[in-house]
Amino acid sequence: MVAALTTRFGDLDIAEEAAAEAFAAAVERWPADGTPPNPGAWLTTTANRKAIDRIRRENKRDGKQKAAQLLYDNEPPEPLDALTDERLRLIFTCCHPALAMQSRVALTLRLVGGLTVAEIARAFLVQEAAMGQRITRAKAKIKAARIPYRVPSAADLPERISGVLSVLFLVFNEGYLATGPDTDPVRHELTAEAIRLARLIRAEMPDDGEVAGLLALMLMTEARRNARVSSRGELVTMQKQDRGVWDTSLIAEGHGLVRERLVAAAAGVAPGRYQILAAINAVHTYARDVRDTDWSQIVALYDQLLGLDPSPVVALNRAIAVAELDGPEVALAAVDRLDDRLASYHAYHATRADLLRRLGRNEQSRAAYDKAIELAGNTAEVAYLTRRRDQLS
Amino acid sequence: MQYLVSVINDSDSLATPEEMAAITVFNEGLQAEDHWVFAAGLASPLSATVVDNRGAEVMFTDGPFLESKEYIVGFWIMDAADLDVALKLAEKASKACNRKLEVRPIL
Repeated sequence: MVAALTTRFGDLDIAEEAAAEAFAAAVERWPADGTPPNPGAWLTTTANRKAIDRIRRENKRDGKQKAAQLLYDNEPPEPLDALTDERLRLIFTCCHPALAMQSRVALTLRLVGGLTVAEIARAFLVQEAAMGQRITRAKAKIKAARIPYRVPSAADLPERISGVLSVLFLVFNEGYLATGPDTDPVRHELTAEAIRLARLIRAEMPDDGEVAGLLALMLMTEARRNARVSSRGELVTMQKQDRGVWDTSLIAEGHGLVRERLVAAAAGVAPGRYQILAAINAVHTYARDVRDTDWSQIVALYDQLLGLDPSPVVALNRAIAVAELDGPEVALAAVDRLDDRLASYHAYHATRADLLRRLGRNEQSRAAYDKAIELAGNTAEVAYLTRRRDQLS
Repeated sequence: MQYLVSVINDSDSLATPEEMAAITVFNEGLQAEDHWVFAAGLASPLSATVVDNRGAEVMFTDGPFLESKEYIVGFWIMDAADLDVALKLAEKASKACNRKLEVRPIL
């Protein structure tokens, strides 16, 4: 609804406020008056009226002209379902490349996700006032610099979609990595929110491969949430997870999306990053038992991913898979080559520690675990690494 | 809407002949598509003078108002319908003059 109002009134602030007031009015009136036959239309009409009132009150010259237009506009309010284009416009605007990533995330969660400023602030461990300011500034920039409120042209779409997907993936990871007893429960809702937004975009752009890929990746990752942290608040790696508690319907949905993209790839559409990551996840989640994991498929997929994204983190993850196929010594050689680029990445040291442990090089393993613990940020992960280190003889 | 597109220099080097040629081509494109309002190169910040007449007596100071490694060496004023258009133009401009640019809306 915010989207449609923004289109009509050309101002995110007015749209947001009007929507909030309309909902508040509904909460107040409907219990007493009864729910209207078309609640969507009631909300839209009420919000429109509130917006016009505000524009009149503020006496904006622009607003007066717009208000005049609206008073003569006899179109009935659009049903809420016909807002697909509106929602897309809002998402693309909130994720505009001229906004800092932090701002895009905050704005998207606020305006598209409908989270309160307080909720977003808690989720990202930021003061509420600071988060409020971040959002206010982002809206001010959109207005002052005239960031257009529209779906990008076909030529610009791939890059702009990529920007939106980055925002969603960031939100998802923020939620997914939130583990441990002190975590604010709002952070868990971030994964649900990221998935919901991805579904929304997928519904509007059912042919986009990367949108499908990201949704699949998130679904299959979320499916493993309950198996990921032990009752003692310790991280459980995929190898050790109880696959019986994986959410089979989310996995099935993810697999369906991956299959769809495999068909497209066979027809010549080159898969992007998210699709390949989703395929890797699919191979993992396809195995009922960890011993059934098709590691050579996984290595092949990482090879494909390296072709697109030759980053050291991808190379690291590939090496972990190689260890299962060719043994820890070969893998360690590959991992050590990444030292200059990943020295400050905790997962690099954790990987080395594990490989060294498997090779019986306990002294070096202990040192690597120490480094990993020092760099790791997540309490569940630290607990896990500490235990592994302490188990070394 | 108009945007000030400032060219940022981070060394003492001036535009090379290749860069000048590319800028000329870019400017012709700007004019052809009605985005051109004005453009100019600026003399070195060493030739600047700061004037402050807010107090009782006017003060003249030799040099730029800000001592910094990066400074503005030229600018365009471009007319564009919205930021997307301005950014597209700035993308080409940055490539042409081989410098970092700042795109700022003019009130």
